[in-house]
Amino acid sequence: MLKKIFVLFLLTVTGVALWQSFRHAPFGENRVGDVENPETVSAFYLKHSPETLHTANSVTAIVVNFRGFDTLGEVTVLFLAATGLASILYRRKEDEEEEGGHLPVRVKLKSSTLVRTGAKILFPLILLLGIYVFVHGHLTPGGGFQGGAIIATGFLLMFITYKRFNVNHKIMVWLESLSGLAFVLIGLYGLVAYGSFLQNIPWTGRLNDLISGGLIPLIYIFIGIKVATELTNVLDTLMNTKPRKK
Amino acid sequence: MVISPVHYIVAPLAAAFLIPLLNKLYDDAARVVPGIVLGYLVVVSAVLVPQVLHNGPITEIIAGWRPPFGINLVMTPFSAILALLVSFMAFVIWLYGFRFRRTLKGGVVMYYEILQMMMTAGALGIILTGDLFNMFVFVEIAGITAISLAAFYRDRDGAEAGFKYMLLGSLASVFLLLGILLLYTQTHSLNMAQIAERMPAVAQGVKIMALIFLLVSLGIEAEMFPLNSWAPDAYSQAPSPTSAAFAAVLGVAAVYALARVSYTLFDAQSVSMFLMVMGFLTMFFAETAAIAQTDLKRMLAYSSMGQMGLVMVALGIGNETALFGALFLIINHAVIKALLFMTGSYFIYNNNSKRLVALNGIHKRLPYVSFLFSLGALAIIGFPPFSGFWSKFYILSGAAKRELLPLIIGILAITIVEMTYYLRVIGRIYFGKEETEPASHKPSINALVAMTSLAVIIVVLGLYPDLISGYLHKASMFLLDKQAYIQNVLSVK
Repeated sequence: MLKKIFVLFLLTVTGVALWQSFRHAPFGENRVGDVENPETVSAFYLKHSPETLHTANSVTAIVVNFRGFDTLGEVTVLFLAATGLASILYRRKEDEEEEGGHLPVRVKLKSSTLVRTGAKILFPLILLLGIYVFVHGHLTPGGGFQGGAIIATGFLLMFITYKRFNVNHKIMVWLESLSGLAFVLIGLYGLVAYGSFLQNIPWTGRLNDLISGGLIPLIYIFIGIKVATELTNVLDTLMNTKPRKK
Repeated sequence: MVISPVHYIVAPLAAAFLIPLLNKLYDDAARVVPGIVLGYLVVVSAVLVPQVLHNGPITEIIAGWRPPFGINLVMTPFSAILALLVSFMAFVIWLYGFRFRRTLKGGVVMYYEILQMMMTAGALGIILTGDLFNMFVFVEIAGITAISLAAFYRDRDGAEAGFKYMLLGSLASVFLLLGILLLYTQTHSLNMAQIAERMPAVAQGVKIMALIFLLVSLGIEAEMFPLNSWAPDAYSQAPSPTSAAFAAVLGVAAVYALARVSYTLFDAQSVSMFLMVMGFLTMFFAETAAIAQTDLKRMLAYSSMGQMGLVMVALGIGNETALFGALFLIINHAVIKALLFMTGSYFIYNNNSKRLVALNGIHKRLPYVSFLFSLGALAIIGFPPFSGFWSKFYILSGAAKRELLPLIIGILAITIVEMTYYLRVIGRIYFGKEETEPASHKPSINALVAMTSLAVIIVVLGLYPDLISGYLHKASMFLLDKQAYIQNVLSVK
């Protein structure tokens, strides 16, 4: 009882302190300022993503270009989370093999015909939607992370529907490595050609065209592939579907 | 291509993405590639650090947008020296661990090597970035690798260590993000120089709240009392090269972030008292807890926390002498604690036990390793003529300049505590009655090279501290000069 009162007291104090500081945050007000003569960072972004980068979706311009370095870091965080997960779960599988190598216990019951047929039809459509989302990342809401996650849900559907659905690991490793590497290489191209890592090429096309924004759509496509393979790998590791070792 | 600070981040990233592919072509690629990358980073440091020390800070803009609109890396003398330290130590630790993990099977080695290398990349990112949110990203990278490595040995204790670290590590991330959010609502910027410039205009209450968020978050990473309960478990459960890297790579980055936030973003005077009190408490509780340990790696972990506490005290004292001492201590602690973990793990390897009792009379079986361990132990206590003496000496004289008599007495008293438990271990090694079986694992040649080179650094820096003291003075002067930092970054076109 005393412990509960103490916890309640602590939460109240923390809550009041948080409210005290966050009530100064002017939510809902226009703090961007004049977009034509930008003084704040946000106004600068709003002005330059259509004018200089010719990218209709300014969120994408910020994520991939203005703050592209952060995005490279976030992609790496995802990659490392998958690697860390694999390193922790790796030997459990090996141990089980030594114990007699039973099959993955992913799905106990066979799914109904309805689910299996439905999944088969939906799977390519989900992949298509994912690809659409990341290819149009610079024009419409969404992008590499969202598209990649959509594709991974397609694989999740297949994993839970079919007992023995396996992804081709060789292709996954290649796609994963090469898409990550492509992001870094595009960045290095900027460093070599224009003197700044991740710098965009001067040719940015026409606003609202599919091929516009210079390297932005290309980077987002690679991010999409990377995120899709990474999340699928995470699902794969968790669902223990790795094929037996040679 | 000209060498620039961005190589510190790009080279490990590219290698980490490539390793899974290369490992398919060549079995030992995962072992070799990190060494090449880390060796390259040492070369990059050797090129860049003299430049920074002679010509002043380098501000590298990324994606072609000048600060504050784009992200930028800033290499000041202070961060340059730490970047050199981190990349060098990471390389030595790689060298040490090169053959050590032959015992592990197959693909695990690849995961391990990637994580270990990326922990270094995360630490370097924290040290080099000039953007607050970018720092958050690198804290995430360093944190997620450290958590995975702490849980690497998949037994009960390893899982516990990983879980504890994950809880506190996520808390640190959330608090850091909240702190950044608060600062952004007030200053409309994520660039550290611009935030520092606009800081005087921020309301006092918000400033304090943001400071609390940032200090709690970075305090968790820098092992500040009472947020450091993850550290003993993580240090003792992680593979030994990782324990060494926690002290020599992650610890350095955490302390750097603490120094950068309190000296550049905020006012050093306002956090002075806090850092001194918390640092002293960290020291006090860690060192007294170290006495009670029966496990070698846990004892070393508590000792690490104690040293971190002393660095915080020195940052709190905040005059030039103390900062010089703090920087010297960061370097010493990285080198010495890495040596202690390296040699200590050979004891553990030979005894199949982490217990201190098992060390009795081990010098007969491992004479050279015992000698190096004792040298490290004496150096970390601060015996002259080893390098540890000078860092403690300068911190104490910094305290004397501010006439903080109780603090000086406290630090000296804690040094006696420190001496007690380290000398007890040395006593066991040399005079204990041997009970265990003879040695079966002599250290491998690469581990010997790594350990010897660290020992040589300890002795040489102890005898000739003037070799680096000029550079360290410059670095600590620059940390104190907030306006120079702001101007350097914001004047970039």
